[in-house]
Amino acid sequence: MIGTGIKRGTAELAVLSVLEDSPLHGYEVARRIEQQTKGALRFTLAALYPMLYRMEQRRWIRGSWETSDAGRRRRRYRLTPAGKKMLSPLRQEWSELFQALRRLKKVAHA
Amino acid sequence: MPDWQTLVRRRLDGLALEPHERAQVIEELAAHLDDTFEGLRRRGLTVEDAAQRCLGEVKDWRDLRRKIQTARTKENIMTNRVKQFWLPSLLTLLLSMGLLALIQIFGPNPWMVARHSGGSLVAPVTVVYIPWLLALPLIGAMGAYLSNRAGGSQRAVFSSIVFPVLPYLVFFLAVLPMIAILNDRVAHNIMLAPLFVGLFAWVLAPGGALLAGGLLLQLFYARRLTSRRVVSN
Repeated sequence: MIGTGIKRGTAELAVLSVLEDSPLHGYEVARRIEQQTKGALRFTLAALYPMLYRMEQRRWIRGSWETSDAGRRRRRYRLTPAGKKMLSPLRQEWSELFQALRRLKKVAHA
Repeated sequence: MPDWQTLVRRRLDGLALEPHERAQVIEELAAHLDDTFEGLRRRGLTVEDAAQRCLGEVKDWRDLRRKIQTARTKENIMTNRVKQFWLPSLLTLLLSMGLLALIQIFGPNPWMVARHSGGSLVAPVTVVYIPWLLALPLIGAMGAYLSNRAGGSQRAVFSSIVFPVLPYLVFFLAVLPMIAILNDRVAHNIMLAPLFVGLFAWVLAPGGALLAGGLLLQLFYARRLTSRRVVSN
C-alpha cells in the first residue's frame, strides 16, 4: 500500500494522465485511476473534488456540463493546453524520482 | 435510493460561494454519490450497505466545505486568510478596545460612584471593567461568526475569538520571565502581584469572556449540523 504523502504527490499526475486519454466526469476519473493502478490509488469524493476544482482554477483542466441520453447531467473534465504542458514536466519529475529510488535499491543490494 | 442532492445541500450548508456556483457544486457531488451508489448496487451490495459506503466517501463535511471553498474561490490564499482570520480578528480587537474607550468616556463617572460607594479602587472596576467584560462574549461570538462564515478552520476561528487578548498575552509572557530574572539585580523591588493581577484582568478574564461567546456560537453551529445530519439520515 502506498503512503498518504506519496499519494498526494502523485494525485495530480494521475488525474492529468487519465484526462489525457479522454474527457471524463469526476466519478469516472476516480474509477479509471483505481482500475489502472489496480486499487493502489483510490480517490474518495472528499479527496477528488477539491483537487479537481484547484486544478480547474489553475486552468490545467476545464469542466463543462453535459447531459447524457438518459437525461443525467454530469460535469465532464478535459485537459487544457496548459494542463498538457504541465503533464510533461510532472512525468519527468516522477520518472526521475523513481529512477533515483531504483538506483538506491541497487546500491542497497550491492 | 437516498436523495443525494438534499443530503449534500444540507451537509455543505454555509458553503460561501455564489448561489449558481454553490448549486453546481452540490449537483456535481450529488451526481458522484449517485454514480457510486449505483456502482455498488451493481456489485451486489444492499441499498443500506451501498448508502453507508457512499456516506463513507466523506468523513468530515465541514473540512470538505472549507477545501472546496478555498479551491473554488477566485482570490488567492492570502485573500482567504484575510477573510477567515485577519478581518474577524482585527474587528474583534477594534470593537473590544473601542468599547472599553467608549465606556470610559461616556460611562458613569467613577468619582461620582466612588463618593457614594466609598471605595475609589472598586468603583472604576465596577463601572468600567465589569460592563466591558460582560460585553466581550458578544464580540467573541461575532469574531467566530465572521471567521466561520468565511470558511475558516477551527484554528482560524479560535484565533479570531481570542485575538484582542493576544497582544497582552505576548506582553506578559515576555515581561514576567524578564522580571523574574531581573528582580534581584535592580535596586527597587518589583511587585509581582500586580503583574499577576494584570495578567488575570487583561488576558485570562477577557479571554475567557471572549471564548464563552465564541465557543457558544461554535456549539450552536455544531448542534445545528448534527441535527441536520440526523434529519438527512
